[in-house]
Amino acid sequence: MIKKLINPYKYLAGLKSLILGIAIILATSIIGYFSNTQFPDIISVKTCPDFSISYFILQGLLNWFILSTMFYIASMIISKSKVRPIDIYGTQALARFPYLLASCIGFSSALNDFSKYLQWTLLKQGEPIEISSIQIVIAILILVFSLILTIWMITLMFNAFKVSANLKGNRLVFSFIIVMILSIVLTGYLNQNLTLKLQ
Amino acid sequence: MEKKLPIICPSCNSDLKVKSLHCEQCDTTISGQFELPILLRLDTKEQDFILDFVKSSGSLKIMASKLNLSYPTVRNMLDDLISNIEKLKSHD
Repeated sequence: MIKKLINPYKYLAGLKSLILGIAIILATSIIGYFSNTQFPDIISVKTCPDFSISYFILQGLLNWFILSTMFYIASMIISKSKVRPIDIYGTQALARFPYLLASCIGFSSALNDFSKYLQWTLLKQGEPIEISSIQIVIAILILVFSLILTIWMITLMFNAFKVSANLKGNRLVFSFIIVMILSIVLTGYLNQNLTLKLQ
Repeated sequence: MEKKLPIICPSCNSDLKVKSLHCEQCDTTISGQFELPILLRLDTKEQDFILDFVKSSGSLKIMASKLNLSYPTVRNMLDDLISNIEKLKSHD
């Protein structure tokens, strides 16, 4: 069961995973719209003000498309196998599943209040705010939960790349790290521009 | 019980060779020193994979659906098998 949760690609890839993955990305965007939760790069999760639904959908698709394209380019350069783009794009879309759960984070105001509280008490910025110890516990639990989801998603992305591109050892690890760093920078920059344009 | 053809020496881990072949019909025994063909030097799983691959007319898609695995997983198995065969060939 755990193996299937961290590496479903042994059994599922190609068109099926692409359709399922895009449905997950769209569902994440819609939930994010209602919970005011955005993903400003491939791994970050943040609460945000009210944006249009198109902003959330564009952001979800952009994060997936940029990362998958980077993985596809990397696999064309270093893999000896015949890599099908549909496997790379499909498995990476499916890897976004943990963030479907993460998009619910914004439904609770505890994290937002806790961040305002920390800003006021530690940095003396913003407005003074009082929060209960229960709210602090909830905020910490949400932080831990989102960290687990991030680790799960990165594991899924790693296994998706490993299976789709048939890579092993150092080649796999180094190319994965490089693609992740480049994609975080690129999607962060593009999402910043997207925010400015759609605001 | 199905006997497994030993291909590696249990004593020193070297490749085993065929020393004699026997006809059960006329009781003739041929002695000599023969190399095992590459296909027989693969492990049972790899031999089964080749049989399934041939039975599926060389279609990885059919193989994937028969084995309940994804297409890239089956393609990776084939790629690993090819690299193993190349290793055995270069070893000869």
